[in-house]
Amino acid sequence: MEKEKVLEVKNLQKFFKLGRNNTVKAVDDISFDINKGETFGLVGESGCGKSTTGRTIIRLHEATGGQVIFNHENVHGKKSKQDLLKLNRKMQMIFQDPSSSLNPKMTVMDIVAEGIDIHKLAKNEKDRKQRVENLLETVGLNREHATRFPHEFSGGQRQRIGIARALAVEPEFIIADEPISALDVSIQAQVVNLLKRLQRDYGLTFLFIAHDLSMVKYISDRIGVMYFGNMVELAESDELYKNPLHPYTKSLLSAIPLPDPDYERNRRRVAYDPAEHDTNEEPEFREVKPGHWVRCTTKEFEEYKKELKTK
Amino acid sequence: MEKKNEQEYTEQSGQTSKANEDGLSILGRELIRDKVALISLILLIVVVAIVYGTSIIMDKDEIVKVDLFAIHEPPSDEFILGTDYGGRDIFGQLIIGTRNSLSVAFLVTLMTGLIGVIYGLVSGYYGGHVDNAMMRILDFFLILPFIMVVIVFVSIVPKYSVVSFSLIMTAFLWMGIARLIRSKALQERELDYAQASKTLGSSNIKIMFKQVLPNLSSLIIVTMTLNLAANIGLESGLSFLGFGFPESTPSLGTLVSYATNPTTLEDRWWIWVPASVMIFVLMLAVNNVGQALKRATDARQRRG
Repeated sequence: MEKEKVLEVKNLQKFFKLGRNNTVKAVDDISFDINKGETFGLVGESGCGKSTTGRTIIRLHEATGGQVIFNHENVHGKKSKQDLLKLNRKMQMIFQDPSSSLNPKMTVMDIVAEGIDIHKLAKNEKDRKQRVENLLETVGLNREHATRFPHEFSGGQRQRIGIARALAVEPEFIIADEPISALDVSIQAQVVNLLKRLQRDYGLTFLFIAHDLSMVKYISDRIGVMYFGNMVELAESDELYKNPLHPYTKSLLSAIPLPDPDYERNRRRVAYDPAEHDTNEEPEFREVKPGHWVRCTTKEFEEYKKELKTK
Repeated sequence: MEKKNEQEYTEQSGQTSKANEDGLSILGRELIRDKVALISLILLIVVVAIVYGTSIIMDKDEIVKVDLFAIHEPPSDEFILGTDYGGRDIFGQLIIGTRNSLSVAFLVTLMTGLIGVIYGLVSGYYGGHVDNAMMRILDFFLILPFIMVVIVFVSIVPKYSVVSFSLIMTAFLWMGIARLIRSKALQERELDYAQASKTLGSSNIKIMFKQVLPNLSSLIIVTMTLNLAANIGLESGLSFLGFGFPESTPSLGTLVSYATNPTTLEDRWWIWVPASVMIFVLMLAVNNVGQALKRATDARQRRG
């Protein structure tokens, strides 16, 4: 069965000019699709371009090249104000740092209602209040919290407020930019479970950006691994964990700790050395097995295929 | 399970709330803790009330009228602070003069604040090329010789009022606050709450004035208070040099400038001492309040 694509990212590039001869290629030619109702995990080390990808998709950055197609529409094309507002409503973002993502001078009510006001979703003042209170309860807060200010909440609660704000405009697609990395481990699980529940209840599609592989595996249907602005491997999450092909993915997986002393004593970390690739040939993103893509040269491509067969 | 955790959250947040309290209430508490600043503030309010109160009753024309039969009279029952070389009542001039000086200082502070905040906010928020262009225009204003332009203005315009004098001062004094606000706006726009507002579809104007501006409020209050003290001094200085108000419009500066006459300086203290003390008290008081407010914005220096 062909799945419906919500988002298609085609050869997306984002370069930052730092000086006349100094350009940072934060995102360099990456492509992936996200299907309706799934969670797409994006992992990679700090500074590899995960967040930039997310922010470029939602137009917080202008793309240097490539296309982002959302519901058959190019996000970065020329747009009227109406089109932009419509896009803003369908696509929302949850931010990484719960302490800076909420305006300290506004009440929770006003923060959550911002989207409702802009898109004129509430019929009157009473409806607006009702909507905000329902949203707060949806994300596991009390309706009494609406009159308070952000600093009166803990990190996990603030992240819930951020989620409520994103939900307020009834979006289809949410970019979660490391929503749990600033939180305590026990609270991480709560927030992830909340996201899972919301996805089930509202049929949301997520782009989940993180660097914690165990968490990403738990929430994602498919995972993309980024390294230095490139997508190096993309597969269904089980497949990626069972048969990692790219040496960087293997290195990442070898770094996951488990609360098991026997396992930890024998765990060998695999170091990744980019120099092990053949630099004479520009690597390309190839499909080794249906649904399993790896960035590799032709020679590596054959090796990976063989590796998969022997398993 | 979830309910229980919620309970814990609320308990935690109770402890942290003191550290992140609302800016204005911190300013208030700092003022109450700092006795010197509190006394300064009360003194300031009293002086402003007296000056503006009595100046309504006083007849300005009567005070600046020359009376040749009462030249250089020392303080007496008729003239509480004596008279000057034109027989004019010093006490009346002091009240009117303080009012004029304060009005100029208030007006200049408000106008520079308004222009500076809007200019800095726009420049800092948009950043990039807009910021670059706007800052170069600002640099142009910075290199203009302020005193010289004021001298030219005073000699060209024969009669000028509090308002026109404030305008000419404003034209050269808005740059400092604009720069300060710009640097802060550059920081604020990168914070996630501004970005979140953008993804929700808010217009730039709305983000600037509804989201970013409230977060700069304490900074604006502090800067404008300190500017007020500086502007009182600046007006007095200009008037003292003869480039401020003319004698027909008394100000603290014109009163002090009588002291340039050696005889007045030595023998007729009643003409210039009260005005000097007034300048001293006003500037010190405003500065004390401003310093207390400034400390309040920096958590490490706070006393309360």
